[in-house]
Amino acid sequence: MSYVEIEVRAKSVDLAVEAAMQELGVEDREHVAVEVLVEPEKGFLGFGGQDAVVRVKHRKPRKRRNDRRRKAQSRSRSSSKQQDRSQSGNNGRNRNQGRSQGKGRDVSGQQGDQPKTDDRPIVGLEEQARIAREFLEGLVAAYGLEGTVETSIDDDVIVANVNGEQTEALVGVRGSVRSSIHELTRTVLQRYSQDTARLRLDIAGYAERRRQALTIYADQLIDQLTSDGGEIMLEPMSAADRKVIHDAAAARDGVTSYSEGEAPRRYVVLAAEAGSSEDVGNAEDAGNAEDVGEAEDAGEEE
Amino acid sequence: MAKGEIVERVVDYVVKAIVEEPEAVTVTMVDQGPNEVVAEVRTAKADMGRVIGRRGRVAKAIRAAAGAAAEEEGITADVEFLD
Repeated sequence: MSYVEIEVRAKSVDLAVEAAMQELGVEDREHVAVEVLVEPEKGFLGFGGQDAVVRVKHRKPRKRRNDRRRKAQSRSRSSSKQQDRSQSGNNGRNRNQGRSQGKGRDVSGQQGDQPKTDDRPIVGLEEQARIAREFLEGLVAAYGLEGTVETSIDDDVIVANVNGEQTEALVGVRGSVRSSIHELTRTVLQRYSQDTARLRLDIAGYAERRRQALTIYADQLIDQLTSDGGEIMLEPMSAADRKVIHDAAAARDGVTSYSEGEAPRRYVVLAAEAGSSEDVGNAEDAGNAEDVGEAEDAGEEE
Repeated sequence: MAKGEIVERVVDYVVKAIVEEPEAVTVTMVDQGPNEVVAEVRTAKADMGRVIGRRGRVAKAIRAAAGAAAEEEGITADVEFLD
């Protein structure tokens, strides 16, 4: 299973492809290969219809070196997600560049046809962490708040924690300001480096509290499913929140999880394992949705 | 403290951190009534795309950051990106 290939279910083929492209971070439809797995069918008065399912693959010409690398790492989830994220992010971003480069890779000879060269350097993780920290420190100061910023590196992910009572103001309703600051910090990193690491940003402990609360919530639902069976559709969530639910499900026997719908209305379905072969496709979708979804958001919501 | 001061400081800081030419950035505060301000952002032409971002994601994030700043002042704020 390739990490740049995902399956998406939606009302129509077009909607599914659009959602998939968004998850993959691809803007140009020419850069994806689409395989329609299930044609949509209209139901009667909204009942009994069937959603379209498409498999969308990100076509990346001359990506062979990366592909090999991805295979080699294919079960080391965090690093392959990181890989995926940097690719999808870069491919959407540097259209003039045509493709992303991995860390430390020789970029010469790949350019050729684009009018504008990317003169941003490839910046090491430590340096990226420093840039993120300085930006966040300056931001806290611009708000006139007191707070501290700590950064560390965890398995190729930059972890930034903004702490201090006053920084609660930078969390926002349901973490909305926190996700915006995450987006801005990533944008700053992209300004300095061609290839940027994933960033996990927490402010005033919000993300950690949210993760704990979601895990407890998921565990309760899973308890219910393992005793009663069936499926539970959750409310739409960000990719990072969906990932928490998927993780909770993965940690338990007898239950699977998968994502459906399109961002920002994409949601997780928790299902008691029926042991039927029908579930295989869904399970695969879940794996992909989780990987790509989280990767796409870059831990943007993390 | 002048009204919108924190908003201005935050927007100015964020936009300058994102662009290639920070010296070309101007943020002009416009009053929109007693409790509302608009921050008008101008950048070098080549930087505007970066400030707006894919599908307006960065612009949206800047607006949210400005909103949080406005909240600190007990007002509301919008951000406009002008050519």
